[in-house]
Amino acid sequence: MRNPSLHSKRALIAVGIALALYFVLASLPPWVLAATASPSNKVQLNVANAQPRQVEDATVQAIQRDYGKAWQTLAQAMSENRADLLNASFTGIARDKLAQAIAEQKQAGLSRKYVDKGHHLEAVFYSVEGSAMEVRDTAQVEIQLLDGDKVVHSEDATMHYVALMTPTENAWKIRVFQAVQGF
Amino acid sequence: MKRVLVLLMLLIAACIVASSVAHAQTLNVPEKVFAGTGVSIPTSGSGEATLYLYGPNHVAKRKQQLGQPIQLAGDDVRAAGRYFIVLNGGGNESSGSFFVTANKVDNIAFLARPSRVPASKPGVISGSAFLFDAYQNLQLEPTLVAFNLAVEGAPAITRTETSKFGVAWTRLDSGKKAGAAQFVANVGDARTNRVVQQVAAEPCNIRMRAQRGNNGAIEVVTDPIRDCSGNAVPDGTIVTFTAVDSNGKSTVDSRIKRGIAQAELPPSNSALISVAAGVVVGNEIHWGGK
Repeated sequence: MRNPSLHSKRALIAVGIALALYFVLASLPPWVLAATASPSNKVQLNVANAQPRQVEDATVQAIQRDYGKAWQTLAQAMSENRADLLNASFTGIARDKLAQAIAEQKQAGLSRKYVDKGHHLEAVFYSVEGSAMEVRDTAQVEIQLLDGDKVVHSEDATMHYVALMTPTENAWKIRVFQAVQGF
Repeated sequence: MKRVLVLLMLLIAACIVASSVAHAQTLNVPEKVFAGTGVSIPTSGSGEATLYLYGPNHVAKRKQQLGQPIQLAGDDVRAAGRYFIVLNGGGNESSGSFFVTANKVDNIAFLARPSRVPASKPGVISGSAFLFDAYQNLQLEPTLVAFNLAVEGAPAITRTETSKFGVAWTRLDSGKKAGAAQFVANVGDARTNRVVQQVAAEPCNIRMRAQRGNNGAIEVVTDPIRDCSGNAVPDGTIVTFTAVDSNGKSTVDSRIKRGIAQAELPPSNSALISVAAGVVVGNEIHWGGK
């Protein structure tokens, strides 16, 4: 025999649980969701249009590895307000600008979190002697701007970057790093 | 029970709508800002709010009077890139983002390779020019870049290229004349120069003459050694003299000094003497005999 009252109660409980789950998930910090939902730091490099020099396979591997690492470095440095971390992946103008941003963030008690969801790179310039490569990056990034622990703004966006990379002793480092509106 | 469910659903919908409305306010930010140029962004409402600015190299948190425009000085937006601006006050958040782009080209980072080249070689010199504004932002707009390679006393080689994503590159032949060539990249008033040392290429031909020395040895000496463009082959370049006679082969390596090379070969009554530098072979002399 079906008991209508019991059935309704069950339905109500199910809805309640669903709602609770919804609110719990909604209240979770987005980077927690992203970290569990997506593999981090996927970098794909297309070198078909690189000029004036063709890009060697080993260089493709190195750029993918080091650009991905640079984003990990950036995310950690911006989140923890540690400019010293930048040296591993950034140099020159890019390092100086990011270091200044971190110094000012730290002074104001602010920080920002990046959740890196992947990059499609296209090499647009590779110098004749192999000492510089410029890439365009279409990145899926989630950005959180924080004041202390409070999130003041959050955004999940497709971002575009131009990066100029130069080889050092054991890695390629980013020398110029600019976000642009589009390509 | 159904009514309870319907009410619950309506409540959730209302919450979601209210939540989205609360976060829907956007600031009326400019579409495009040039680096180092001040910005004014209008605000609405009254009272005080907290202003957050997150830029590529500048971050700020300060009080902002609502109803008064947000004033960002040129120094606040020196770096090209994306700027987030957030106003938080009175239970509302309004936000926006804008892009700062590079200002006019002020500085050129110029990579020129190699620093030393033989004269009259096709496509041997390369130059890459990276265009920056006064705030060290890469100028990504297509820009005409003039490349000029000139050595004193010879006509200059000029090439104009359009930059792509902030970089223009060219490949040039080396000039015919040896010397320190000025390799210049310029955009408007911005110019950067590098020096490419053009040196003589391989000798064009080598002519030598021979005479008997004091002790019976054979003294050989070349005419001034030049490349095919008439440039003197640099001192220090090795020239090899070889004599073959009935006793065998004698070889002497000599360095060019003051434009010529000379050597002393062992005495011989009959020998075939030859001269060479690198891959270039000079004349032969039949010494003595018949």
